[in-house]
Amino acid sequence: MAGEKDELIKIVGAENVINDPVTLDVYSKDHSFIPPRKPRMVVKPKSAGEVQGIVKWANHTRTPLVPVSSGLPHFRGDTVPSSEGAVIVDLSGMKRIIMMDRRNRVAIVEPGVTFSKLQPELAKEGLRLSMPLLPRTSKSVLGSVLEREPIMNPRYSWSLSEPLRCLETVMGNGDIYRTGELGGASMSTSTGQVATPMPLEEVLEKRREKQETALYQYGPGQFNYHKLISAAQGTMGIVTWASLRCEILPHVHRFFLVPSERLDNIIGFAYKLLRIRFHDEFLFLNSSNLASILGEGTEQIMGLREELPPWILIFRLAGRDIMPEEKVEFLEKDIGDIAQQCGVRPESAIPGARDGQVGEAVLNPSKEPYWKLCCKGGCQDIFFLTTLNRIPEFVTTMYSLAEAFKYSQSDIGVYIQPTHLGTSCHLEFSLPFDPGDGGEVAKVQGLFTKASEELGKQGAFFSRPYGIWADMEYSRNAEHTSLLRKLKRIFDPNSVLNPGKLCF
Amino acid sequence: MALEDYRATVKRCSRCSYCKWIPFAHVKSWRFAKGCPSIEFNKFQSYSASGRFAVSLSLLEGRISYTDGLLDIVFKCMLDGSCDVSCKVCRYDLEPVEVMRQLRFKLIDDGQFPPQDIPLIDNLRKEDNMMMKSKAERGKWAEGLDVKDLTQEEAEVAFHVGCRLCYDEELWRIPRTVVTLLRNAGIDVGIMGRDENCCGGRLCDMGYRGEFIKYAENNIEAWTTAGVKTVVTACSDGYHAFKRLYPAELDSKFEVLHITELLDRLIKEGKIKFSKTVPMTVTYHDPCHLGRRGEPYVPWSGEQKKIRGQVLVYEPRKPRNNGALGIYEPPRNVLRSIPGLELVEMERNREYAWCCGAGAGVMERYPDFSSLTAGERIEEASATGAEAIVSACPWCERNFIDVINDRGERMKVYDIVDLVREAL
Amino acid sequence: MALLREVYEALEDIVGPDNITEEPATLDSYAYQWIAELVADGSKFLTRPEAVLLPGSTEEVQAIVKTCNRYKLKFHVYSTGWGPWAAAPTEGQILLDLRRMDRIVEIDEQNMFAVVEPYVMAGQLQAEAMKVGLNNHISGAGAGTSVLANAACFQGGGPDCIYFASPQDSTLAIEWVMPTGDILRTGSLGSDLGWFCAEGPGPSAQGVIRGALAGAGGWGVITKVAVRLVHWPGPSVMPIEGTVPAYNSTLPENLFRATFPAFPSWQAFADAVYKIYDSEIGYIAHRQFIMWGDELQAAFLKVVTDPTRQLCDLKELLEMPEIQQLTEEMRRNFQLILVGMTQRDLEYQQKVLDHILSETGGWNVALVDEPAMQRYVLLYMIKLCFKNLNFTASGSFLDTYNTIASPDVWASEEMETVKELMKKYAGRIVDAGEQAMGPLSGQAGGGISGWENFVFYDPQDPDSVKASMEVSDEGDKIKAEKGRPPGGMLLGLARGTHGDEEIRAKKLSKSPEYRWQRKLKEVLDPNGVGSGNYFWGAEPSKEGKK
Repeated sequence: MAGEKDELIKIVGAENVINDPVTLDVYSKDHSFIPPRKPRMVVKPKSAGEVQGIVKWANHTRTPLVPVSSGLPHFRGDTVPSSEGAVIVDLSGMKRIIMMDRRNRVAIVEPGVTFSKLQPELAKEGLRLSMPLLPRTSKSVLGSVLEREPIMNPRYSWSLSEPLRCLETVMGNGDIYRTGELGGASMSTSTGQVATPMPLEEVLEKRREKQETALYQYGPGQFNYHKLISAAQGTMGIVTWASLRCEILPHVHRFFLVPSERLDNIIGFAYKLLRIRFHDEFLFLNSSNLASILGEGTEQIMGLREELPPWILIFRLAGRDIMPEEKVEFLEKDIGDIAQQCGVRPESAIPGARDGQVGEAVLNPSKEPYWKLCCKGGCQDIFFLTTLNRIPEFVTTMYSLAEAFKYSQSDIGVYIQPTHLGTSCHLEFSLPFDPGDGGEVAKVQGLFTKASEELGKQGAFFSRPYGIWADMEYSRNAEHTSLLRKLKRIFDPNSVLNPGKLCF
Repeated sequence: MALEDYRATVKRCSRCSYCKWIPFAHVKSWRFAKGCPSIEFNKFQSYSASGRFAVSLSLLEGRISYTDGLLDIVFKCMLDGSCDVSCKVCRYDLEPVEVMRQLRFKLIDDGQFPPQDIPLIDNLRKEDNMMMKSKAERGKWAEGLDVKDLTQEEAEVAFHVGCRLCYDEELWRIPRTVVTLLRNAGIDVGIMGRDENCCGGRLCDMGYRGEFIKYAENNIEAWTTAGVKTVVTACSDGYHAFKRLYPAELDSKFEVLHITELLDRLIKEGKIKFSKTVPMTVTYHDPCHLGRRGEPYVPWSGEQKKIRGQVLVYEPRKPRNNGALGIYEPPRNVLRSIPGLELVEMERNREYAWCCGAGAGVMERYPDFSSLTAGERIEEASATGAEAIVSACPWCERNFIDVINDRGERMKVYDIVDLVREAL
Repeated sequence: MALLREVYEALEDIVGPDNITEEPATLDSYAYQWIAELVADGSKFLTRPEAVLLPGSTEEVQAIVKTCNRYKLKFHVYSTGWGPWAAAPTEGQILLDLRRMDRIVEIDEQNMFAVVEPYVMAGQLQAEAMKVGLNNHISGAGAGTSVLANAACFQGGGPDCIYFASPQDSTLAIEWVMPTGDILRTGSLGSDLGWFCAEGPGPSAQGVIRGALAGAGGWGVITKVAVRLVHWPGPSVMPIEGTVPAYNSTLPENLFRATFPAFPSWQAFADAVYKIYDSEIGYIAHRQFIMWGDELQAAFLKVVTDPTRQLCDLKELLEMPEIQQLTEEMRRNFQLILVGMTQRDLEYQQKVLDHILSETGGWNVALVDEPAMQRYVLLYMIKLCFKNLNFTASGSFLDTYNTIASPDVWASEEMETVKELMKKYAGRIVDAGEQAMGPLSGQAGGGISGWENFVFYDPQDPDSVKASMEVSDEGDKIKAEKGRPPGGMLLGLARGTHGDEEIRAKKLSKSPEYRWQRKLKEVLDPNGVGSGNYFWGAEPSKEGKK
């Protein structure tokens, strides 16, 4: 054991190898219902070379590794070891913003870069990154993107991986591999079997001279490695940097809110806007979620829940660079026409939310404490993909199950995020609970499990299969499971990367 | 010209498959996007124009020899020309129909023909018709009609009836109506009656070029003797033969009109007037040999050259024969002028119409394939909601009637001439 | 070498006697290929397959593949068969022609996607999609290409990617008969939840089916694919007028406008492309008509839009002062089709374009505003129904000096290099100037741009064939000297597909992805029955050693 620690110290330095009980306890659990398990050590690499060293060491010693990019709190269970003796590879110290390029609208970041850090830096360049809904301040951009967290702007969601483009990874066998236009022959200085990658800065410099950038994410060759490590919960590779397609920071924008008593009443209107891409950020929240976002403290949140309409469609119109005012103006007029046909009214303010307040909130990462924990201190999410037209039936199911479990319907947060240009839709139920109340914990755990099963049977697609969802999905998808296991044996032959997750 | 003269051509196929489809600009649905019946029903690549380019080259290079399979590939095609039109949307140097014609000539010259031809050719040689009937009965359709006999008298206009209309009793009303219409319009018209011979057009498309020339020579001589200036026909096969093949092979100089062209003219001149309504919704089927294969023949002798290095051009300018100048509007004009008649178009019409399945010997040699092709057209006609399908060729009409009867469908089949008669 | 009778009969039992053939003439029709002459010693025939089969369903495909595994028989597969990658790459293979699998399985109008089988052409799907106010991506090779093959089997990019997204992005769930004969259904389909999602659960299996490129017929059989659609604000059936071949379409002027932005310099061109990205205008954006060369594109446009004109008219046209002027005006131009989702949208886009032209010193070539040309260009670019025009000039084409990079590459000196290269071979290939056709963006929302530079040659003229290969190879050499990746895609594909193991092995040794691809092949195709087309097939022993 001491010997192994020494080996790791040689790779990352003494200050970056931690095994005190307090630290290990922190990494042993998260807000999910995954059973806790203590890791053996935590290592904090600062470079791809160090990551590679750790992975090679893990292969040699057959040690499970659990990659972690974001800071606390964690929610999904993917950062809790599933095997004994695991070593946490905490990448939060790799936090360089390697490159930002306004002209080509691309940035390259390391895994420890958070949204809170990145957005202000991009703003200086006139850029921003399409974001998920109020990520916590410690949330790693790459962690979010690699796990296919939906972004709020469906029209930039050209695939579910957006804005991810090229990346560098350390594979399970210790090889470094680069994807997209930053991969292939250009990455290597050697003609041998194992590519020795050129330092990224050198690659980028050479490529700049040839007007090449970092946006084309496919290949190289005939397979898309970046798809094989997406939503993989760190089981297929440890990403050490990635390029991200950025948006231009809008010059002009307006947020609109469409309140409704019933979800069905605004879904038709939503489809119309999604179809013609007359929107930027575009999402639905129920009163519970919006209250948690806008409110400060439990009392205010409860009050807002009463004030806010049950359902709110939130969308932004933005104008950039050339004639931004005209853009927003014509969009507003046309949307006004469409809204009239649909019998809805987009407003800039609604009871409970004043003009600009919602926009201010959703365009930034969450304040502290993380908004989902504001209500009761704990929260469990159920989320999956479906199509927008099916959302009401899932909501009905969730509400009736809540009733069966005597869980207050008004506590349930609902977040509906059309994605992939409106073809699919992320539906997320948040179940706040008091983690100090054993009874409530048990209730929510029961509800979580039952709802996951019922929603799954009803047609929920757990495309990001955390925890119990993994068994549910893989048991109904034998061929995919078989394929993943074969891929795992290819890319992580000694199964050192987060074993026990997904179907591994 | 022979197949060998097209060796360079058959090496220049794009392999783009445009020949299998109607021009993509005109695709209006998944269902009616196909253009080539041959590959549609025979499925393998070799049954497309592109496939036959490959087969031609393969034969020329000695890579293959004659087999039953090869004959099947070569002859299972109506030479309807859909491939030709589609190919020539972009290609200015390829001749799909011509290559396939030459391929047939080569096989027939080499004694390679489907065995089904034997009784047909035997009968033709004895009885001068394509209908397996006796020459003696050729004139029966005209019994009781008061019309000049061109074997005895002269006339300006020869109405060439054609084998199908002479012998298919169910269709006799058509030539009888034609005679009546023309005489009532004051046209100096005569017929050959029993002594009429096959036009030879179908024979030529089947590959029997030598036989065709004999019939062509014979007909030209008969008309010349009768002082004919204009040949009129109600058969599109015949129209194509007289309009394109006769001048090409024998420098024939007669004016050639399809009855629909003449009717269009006569209606515009006020020599045919309608007094009744014909309240019916119909759709018009463009016969291939009147439409895209019925363009005027323009003789050309010149050469292929290259400009700008490798751009293939013809000097002098060569007629494109791409279906642009076929007879599409005169039949429609006639139909539109009939009171009460509503004309609706099928999705595939004019130069990109789907074939009826009867042409180039397919009806005789491969009746199942012929029937499938006709059936597809009837489905397309039914999709328009029309009560009837109207055409301007008895071969098309016969094929449609047969397939409608076989399938128990309710659609009616008319020749344009029928509807004109109804409206008089 | 004929198939063993036992094998033939086993296959015949699956598809029926009418759907399998060993007829030599038919086999040759499958061996005949575009650009075969480049790699088959001037012959138009590549390798004959042992037999051709026409399966009619996924079940038949699966049975065939399992039979191939049983007998260790390699198979190759195609949808339309356009290109040397469609022919069987080596001896002893059977070929599956998927034309019987031609259904549009469904169109989900609300969620905007369609599910198709292999032999649904892009033009067919488009016609059905337009009926419900939708439109589908069409690859640069046009309306006659297979939707499924573009999505999952080959390359598939095209002029509309700036708005419609690349085929990889637009592909949803896939049904794949793997080389083992097992059937993988990806994404939501695998969980029996419909076609709407490509990814998951967890890692996306689509990553194994295609990358930048795909299996090109040698990687099992894709039997169904779901593709995303986009909105179509036009009529449910595009009205077509005009005499063949000069078809055209009148679309509502308040929603559709074709433009030809042109620029005084390559820098201005590049700047304008970026501004178009940033302002997010454009439904279709491509440098298209340049395929005929900057010297000939103006004259060619006059030929193809006039049904009475032919190629011999080029001489006369090129001597006309107005055509010469137009040629100059159009040198640095592209085609930008503006489609407004509403009238105000189109008006806005037009104003933005005017602004961009003003900022960059560009102009809209007046020719495109002539009504007849406007109608022709709209039809051409929206339906991509005239793509065979690539072959018009001389009967065949290759490419050279292809370049994909950021839009700034247009302003590099590479365009001058292209022109010089083409001039060197003019005469032996068509003397057309530079023919650098390409998308303003190969990705949705803007990203990478670039071109493939066409080389028009006569496939039955041995010297022209030779010249086309020389210009492609020389282009690669110049690029290598400049440290740029090789550009001659078509010749590379033809060589990579058919023969020349050395070139393939060299390539394999340099680039790390091939090592992983081979591992995937070994694991997922243990009996090696996928045809070994493309780059999958080289043996490990030919890999370069450290």
